[in-house]
Amino acid sequence: MESHAIPGARFVDPKVLSRIKDLELLARSVVDGFINGLHRAPYFGASIDFAEHRGYVPGDDIRRVDWRLYARTDRYFVKQYEADTNSNFVVLLDTSKSMGFASNGVSKLEYAKYLAACLAYLSHRQRDRVGITTFDEQVISYVPPSAKHFDVLLHTLDRAKAERPGRLLPMLTNAAEHFKRRSIVALMSDLYEDPEALMDALKPYRFLGNDLVVFHILDPAEIDFPYEDASRFQDLESGEEVPVVPEVFAKQYRKLVEEHINAIRTKCSEARIDYVLLRTSQPLDEALFMYLGNRERLMRTR
Amino acid sequence: MSFLSPLFLLGLGAVAVPLIVHLIQRERKDLIPFPSVMFLQRIPYQSVERRRIHNWWLFLMRVAAMVLIVAAFARPFLTENAVNAAAAVTGARDVVILLDRSASMAYGNHWSRAQDEALQIVRGLGAQDRATLVLFDRGVEEAVRSTSSRGELEVAIGQAAVTSESTRYAPALREAQSLLGRSDRGRREAYLISDFQKSGWERQEDIHLPEGATITPISVAEMETSDLAVTSLSMQRSSFSGQERVVLTAGLTNHSAAAVTNLPVKLEIDGRAIETRPVTLGPHASGAVSFDALTVSETNMRGVIRAGSDAMPKDNDFYFVLSPSRPVSVLVLQGDGGQNSSVYLTTVLGLSKAPPFKADVIPVSRLTDTLLNGRAVVVVNDSTSLSTAGADLLARFVERGGGLFIALGARTPVSGEWPLLPGTLGSPVDRMAVRGGTFGTLDFSHPIFEQFKEQGNGNFANMRFYRYRSLGVGPADRVLAKFDDGATAIAERRVGSGRVIAFTSTIDGSWNDFPTTPMFLPLMHEAVKYLAQYGEVPAWQPVGRMFDISSAVASIVREGGANTTAGAGGGGTGVVVSPSGHQVTLGAGGAPSLELAEQGFYSVRLPGMGDRRPYTVAVNMEPAESDLSALPASEFLSGVTGRPAGTPAGQSLEHPEITPVDVEKKQSLWWFLLAAGLTLLLVEAALANQLSRGKARVA
Repeated sequence: MESHAIPGARFVDPKVLSRIKDLELLARSVVDGFINGLHRAPYFGASIDFAEHRGYVPGDDIRRVDWRLYARTDRYFVKQYEADTNSNFVVLLDTSKSMGFASNGVSKLEYAKYLAACLAYLSHRQRDRVGITTFDEQVISYVPPSAKHFDVLLHTLDRAKAERPGRLLPMLTNAAEHFKRRSIVALMSDLYEDPEALMDALKPYRFLGNDLVVFHILDPAEIDFPYEDASRFQDLESGEEVPVVPEVFAKQYRKLVEEHINAIRTKCSEARIDYVLLRTSQPLDEALFMYLGNRERLMRTR
Repeated sequence: MSFLSPLFLLGLGAVAVPLIVHLIQRERKDLIPFPSVMFLQRIPYQSVERRRIHNWWLFLMRVAAMVLIVAAFARPFLTENAVNAAAAVTGARDVVILLDRSASMAYGNHWSRAQDEALQIVRGLGAQDRATLVLFDRGVEEAVRSTSSRGELEVAIGQAAVTSESTRYAPALREAQSLLGRSDRGRREAYLISDFQKSGWERQEDIHLPEGATITPISVAEMETSDLAVTSLSMQRSSFSGQERVVLTAGLTNHSAAAVTNLPVKLEIDGRAIETRPVTLGPHASGAVSFDALTVSETNMRGVIRAGSDAMPKDNDFYFVLSPSRPVSVLVLQGDGGQNSSVYLTTVLGLSKAPPFKADVIPVSRLTDTLLNGRAVVVVNDSTSLSTAGADLLARFVERGGGLFIALGARTPVSGEWPLLPGTLGSPVDRMAVRGGTFGTLDFSHPIFEQFKEQGNGNFANMRFYRYRSLGVGPADRVLAKFDDGATAIAERRVGSGRVIAFTSTIDGSWNDFPTTPMFLPLMHEAVKYLAQYGEVPAWQPVGRMFDISSAVASIVREGGANTTAGAGGGGTGVVVSPSGHQVTLGAGGAPSLELAEQGFYSVRLPGMGDRRPYTVAVNMEPAESDLSALPASEFLSGVTGRPAGTPAGQSLEHPEITPVDVEKKQSLWWFLLAAGLTLLLVEAALANQLSRGKARVA
């Protein structure tokens, strides 16, 4: 297998990766390194591998009829290959202003972009169709899933900027209407919404047969709240200011955030939605590993 | 506690700065952008939490640092009371009281005021304080040395009296410097109580008080003084009808801003008013008044010029002694066979004018005690024989202060009675073979050769001595001249108050050509003057001079005023009576000299003087002491300490002449406060940083 991985890139800090401006190179470095690090690749076979037989229907290419099986069973069956099982991989990227927050050099949006690029690259390698929808308070760009849209996806990611306040729930509801075909949908957001309302917005994706993976991306400061001095905190999206005495607030804040994360995780689990909490300080391959590991477990149980 | 710049205390408002920073500024300084305040809004906000002071130590350190720095800028200092209180705790003082008792302090009530000031200082002493009372004028006297006894000091101050001496500050200040320099106490203070006469202080005085010692001048001087003084006296002698007459002229100075008109100036001789003359003097002017000529009939006549009376009466009287100027009487004893042997001597003595010599020549066999009366010098000129009685007469004469010149020649017997001869007489030495000897070495340090010391002042090389007597000089005698062969030419011996000089050759020209050379006259004049102990007797002397008593005794003896030997080297007794009546004993163990410390007449009396007038010395104040012009105490202080003047005069212990600026500068508390404040700020900063890092680690 050809590899362009940067040695050790899989363990590289996102801050270091952020110096690579080319998203494709970044994705390739991370993903190839990730794959090379495994003893085998059990999750994905070649796309020409046989998958199953189905009954011939008029219109099918007679070249795909399994004549050997016909000889045994006197019925027409058509071979279906894995290539035919390639699905859509769609990224729903939240580019609201809160995603621009960075306490350690890499903003949540940048981290999400790296992650999206990596996952898209991974899918593109196995000939999945890749697409992306970026949104804040409205849809900024929509790239329909296609095997040829990997470059467009990367370009869209590259242009994405956290500039405006976001409206996650309406956007999720609207976007769900575009998924007519089964797809793997990766939602990347900081999920500052009520967990109940969020689940209401996410459930339609499951009804359509989509595999939904929620990447909950948070900055370490949002979780740990390391502030000390009494200050006024300003909401990045609404501009609202709140006086805060960290010594008093920190403990309660951490508790509320933990409750919020747990609530989303629980509800996602109940709705069979994959949920991955990512800190922007985590290495990307670690995030990929967590994601793919979860998926494999879920696939086995299906 | 006082402050030099109390307005800086307004800066104490800065104490609120840390509080304000904590409560207000700290909250407002940062606006932190945060992705969402969704959760923060759910936490109830309690403003009191924000205002709570979490670290009291830091807060208190900040406040204390502010207070210290502000206090430093306000320049605090401990006031006198506080200093005294501190002194009571920390240690006692060593005080030196310098009390001026010079003649000028007799002006008006200066002395009583000075005593009061001194007493005030003594009463201000603490129980642990020590004080030394130093009385000074031209000299210094430690009246009471380093005592804590106030009573002793008060008694000494009460007993102290004004002298007639002039003022000199330097010795007193050096004494204070020495006393304070030896002191081991933390606070060392000197108080100088004086009228601060300008004449008593010289700028070039090198006075350095020890580090930390203070000097406080206390002036009793008055702005305007009025004083008239008799400052000098001149005498013009003349001869009239065989009697000596003298015209006296007194010099007067008016040291006041007001003119003196028709002031009666009186001349008194031996207590009797002789004449009174009026004198008129302008302000700060000098003048003179002359009296009619008067006949000088006796020796040691006591005269006084009296010019009225004022606030300082001492310098209104001027004392002097009047004596006739009599010639030095010389008795020449010659051998019976040498009728003309003294012609050279008498001739050269007769040529002297100052002093005039009166020489009488008699055969040695006719010497009697009577003939020695009034004689200053006896010359024994190659005497053939001298009786035992004659030798005794001469011995007593010399011991009483008379002078004896012995010229040795062929007639002088080796075995003669020469107890006074400086050495042992030997045989004649003949130098004819070498055409005569010459003077070899001369002792130019001796008075008779002193004026020939310089080149060109006489030539002793031309004389030829064909014969001379050998003389073995004893260890107590002094050789004044030697011949070229090393033999003694002239030798001297001191006997009692008198002097004996022996010349080992003749003075009649028989053994040498000495009498015919030019040097014979001056050498004999000098020798006789030396033997007669002749000196210009001043009519008066200034206070403070040392008085050589032997000269007075010699004078009395010469004039036949005593028949018993006395004086510094004599075996008899005599007294010197001071103007105040104090007596000093003369004779064995007595004082060879005496300081003339009082104004007035000193009398020298020897036994046997009878009703004769005693030898008298008149003593007057230094004329400069009459000038009461005062130096401002501040200027004086700056001169002594080197600090700029600027302190008022006339201060006492309760009102020290040290300004708050001086006190603050000396204590320099601000420096310590500022250092403490800055140190506290540094400690606070370090502590705050450490705490901050600790919190960050925890977070």
